[in-house]
Amino acid sequence: MIISSAKPFEEILELLKEEDDIFILGCNACAAKLHVGGEPEVIIMQQRLEEAGKRVAGWGVPSAACSVASFDSLIEKSPALKEAKVILVMACGSGVSTVSRVAEVPVYPSNNTNSLGGRSQGEVIPELCAMCGNCTVYYFGGICPRGQCPKQLINGPCGGSKDGKCEVDQDKDCVWELIYLRLERIGRLDLLDIIWDPDGIPD
Amino acid sequence: MPRTFKEKLLSDDFLVTAEITPPKGTDLSEALGDAEILRGLADALNVTDNQRAVMRMSPLAVSKALLDNGHEVIMQLTCRDRNRLALQSDVLAAYSLGVRNISVMSGDHTTKGDHPRARPVFDIDSVQLLGAIRKMKEGFDLSGNEIGGLPDLTVGAVSNTDLSKPMQLLKLRKKIKMGAEFIQTQAVYDTGQFQTFMEHIVDMDVPVIAGVIPLKSAKMARSMNENIPGIKVPPEMIDSMENAKDPAWEGLSICAQTIRELKGLCRGVHVMPIGSHSRTPELLEMAGIRKEK
Repeated sequence: MIISSAKPFEEILELLKEEDDIFILGCNACAAKLHVGGEPEVIIMQQRLEEAGKRVAGWGVPSAACSVASFDSLIEKSPALKEAKVILVMACGSGVSTVSRVAEVPVYPSNNTNSLGGRSQGEVIPELCAMCGNCTVYYFGGICPRGQCPKQLINGPCGGSKDGKCEVDQDKDCVWELIYLRLERIGRLDLLDIIWDPDGIPD
Repeated sequence: MPRTFKEKLLSDDFLVTAEITPPKGTDLSEALGDAEILRGLADALNVTDNQRAVMRMSPLAVSKALLDNGHEVIMQLTCRDRNRLALQSDVLAAYSLGVRNISVMSGDHTTKGDHPRARPVFDIDSVQLLGAIRKMKEGFDLSGNEIGGLPDLTVGAVSNTDLSKPMQLLKLRKKIKMGAEFIQTQAVYDTGQFQTFMEHIVDMDVPVIAGVIPLKSAKMARSMNENIPGIKVPPEMIDSMENAKDPAWEGLSICAQTIRELKGLCRGVHVMPIGSHSRTPELLEMAGIRKEK
């Protein structure tokens, strides 16, 4: 899941300062699950924009803002889109970019895109994957150090972790601590002996 | 002919290395003055590389200045500020300027320093950089192109000595496997714990140079315990600092005692005072270390 978060409303208003007849396009995939682009959030955005004196042309929530066949297909589902002078996309950067490719009008983002993460038991888990294009996560017990270590160290921890916490964020566990515990639990500590070369290949 | 650091590593000498901090600015007088204090006392001077992610003069320039003044240097090289091209290119530059010892490390994260929004690089890590330098010594760059070799280069690495973190030990093993010829450690205060560390790596057959930082006050000891990973000043040491009439002297005396105990445990000490080396000669004298000039 792409982890995105809502920009402050003031920033969105500033973006839309010169704009009117805004169509709000949500996203029923990741952004909806994260409550930053589903129908309830789209409706609240409409209210807030109108309260701020903006005309809202309409809204729609496609199944995924990053998977759009054509602008006509969007209009088919939301005819009000035809009248819109601008589109505010409540989705991640790939959603905004995909809509921008097909739209004839300016497209604005309402969210900031943070990382490729997940959600489990109600908890949002950011930065699970660095999208390096060479998946070796199995060797690290399913916990990717490239994604989660701020130094992307794949041969073991730096000397900066203190009491098992990350040098960069004392509230975060050092990912190498987690990897060790996980591999210990599944009986595969031997995987830690692998020396990874600069291209992420066992040396 | 004075022996090189490499020759001394291969001897039975108890070695002294010391840290020199490059200037924040272009004036080298303080760094050179600090080095001058250590002439005849230190076997090699480590030149730090934007330590704690605080921007300072390049260790390359400071190393060259120290070499010109007749000092042996260990140039530190972190993976934080350079990608694999820049790292290899700086290794070549250092070697051509006369640097014969390099010590590699990951480097503190940029967010900890004075340019917290700088993009951290970490293209390769310290283990991979050791591998790259080993390859360079054999005459090839990381892509396998011929570069002619750096036959007299000695390369080292760093380590914590805290055994409660098994991953630290695993990483140290990788560093030695990839060609680290000496290890300098984080500051040691508990020599008992350090002894256990040495027993754990006895099979690795690598010279270990233990770090020492003389305490200046009880407050400094507490602050290091809180803020510097890998440093543990035992409570009884903090107590004696607290009760000392002259804390700075007490700190030196504790450090001298630590060095005396380390003499039987490892191959040398690496002195990293906070501030200048003005009292390092006194410290080494108290610890009973005399070097033949």
